Amino acid sequence: MTLRPDLLPLLLALTLASFACRAGGFWLMRFVIVTPRMQAALDAAPLAVMVGIVTPAAARGNPPELLGLVVIAAVMRLTRSDLVASLAGVATVALARWSLRVY
Amino acid sequence: MADAVQTKPARSVVSFTAAGLRRGFASAQPLAVGVLAYGVTFGLLARDAGLSVLEAALMSATVYSGSAQVATVGGLAAGAGIIASVATVLMLNARYVLYGAALRPWLGQVPASEAYASLYVLGDGNWLLSMKARAEGETDAAFVFGSGLAMFLPWIGGTLIGSFAGDLIAHPEQLALDFLLIAFCAAMAIGLFKSRADLWPASTALLVALVANWLAPSGWTIVIAGIAGAIIAYLRHEDAR
Repeated sequence: MTLRPDLLPLLLALTLASFACRAGGFWLMRFVIVTPRMQAALDAAPLAVMVGIVTPAAARGNPPELLGLVVIAAVMRLTRSDLVASLAGVATVALARWSLRVY
Repeated sequence: MADAVQTKPARSVVSFTAAGLRRGFASAQPLAVGVLAYGVTFGLLARDAGLSVLEAALMSATVYSGSAQVATVGGLAAGAGIIASVATVLMLNARYVLYGAALRPWLGQVPASEAYASLYVLGDGNWLLSMKARAEGETDAAFVFGSGLAMFLPWIGGTLIGSFAGDLIAHPEQLALDFLLIAFCAAMAIGLFKSRADLWPASTALLVALVANWLAPSGWTIVIAGIAGAIIAYLRHEDAR
């Protein structure tokens, strides 16, 4: 349980940088009037971010992940539950990695 | 009492209550498992880089960003300075600027202390859950804080486990826990996709993400895809009327 004093300035700087990102966009929007058009843009952000998170994983082209995504789409159509679909996807990837000896 | 029916849509009434906090906390539990596993991985990395348990846990509680912490700890081991480390954190956390901006119409209606406390524990998964809950009619802004805490706490817990006794735990990759957030995003994206109006932001984000990922695979892909989708929705807004 040691804490090196020379690490503290670094930690403080990193904390400020991290919080500036978290709070910065929220704070800046004080000065922006949210028109219906702006609201539409903000509402579209989550779906676009999800696509941005999934795409690189899919583009890597590893069979376990691709299979997992197919299973998620299928289970989502059947159950309409994102919890069930994503757990089915994770289980698929774990099984596929195990059977393909990827990890 | 027929005239009592004239109520405005829920968007204008925003509260911040313990009930909302609990709803958010409960909704993020499935994702918390993945955060815990990721935290263990970070704890292991931090230990290998020479950080003590206290230092690793303190970093997780203050910086609170998986990718940024992994990168800076790696940089520390390689002798990176304070400016390089800060630049890394700013780059890897740039997406939070977008997340916070999108929360303004909702979180901006509660006192600043509650809003900024919620932002302190903001992460990818709980932002997505919160935006989805909001779209489905959630009015209580404490949902953001609750779902954030549900991921913040296992992140610290995982860090402690990893830096104390990481060797006791199997690699999270074997359980595919590294795929959990991606799986949730894929499922939620399919669930969120409702109308033809969503086709444009989604396909733009897909195209932009592919190009960005091909040019320079990095954390920026998420930011660029998110902003591109938002811009398209902004430009096409009049068509929807």
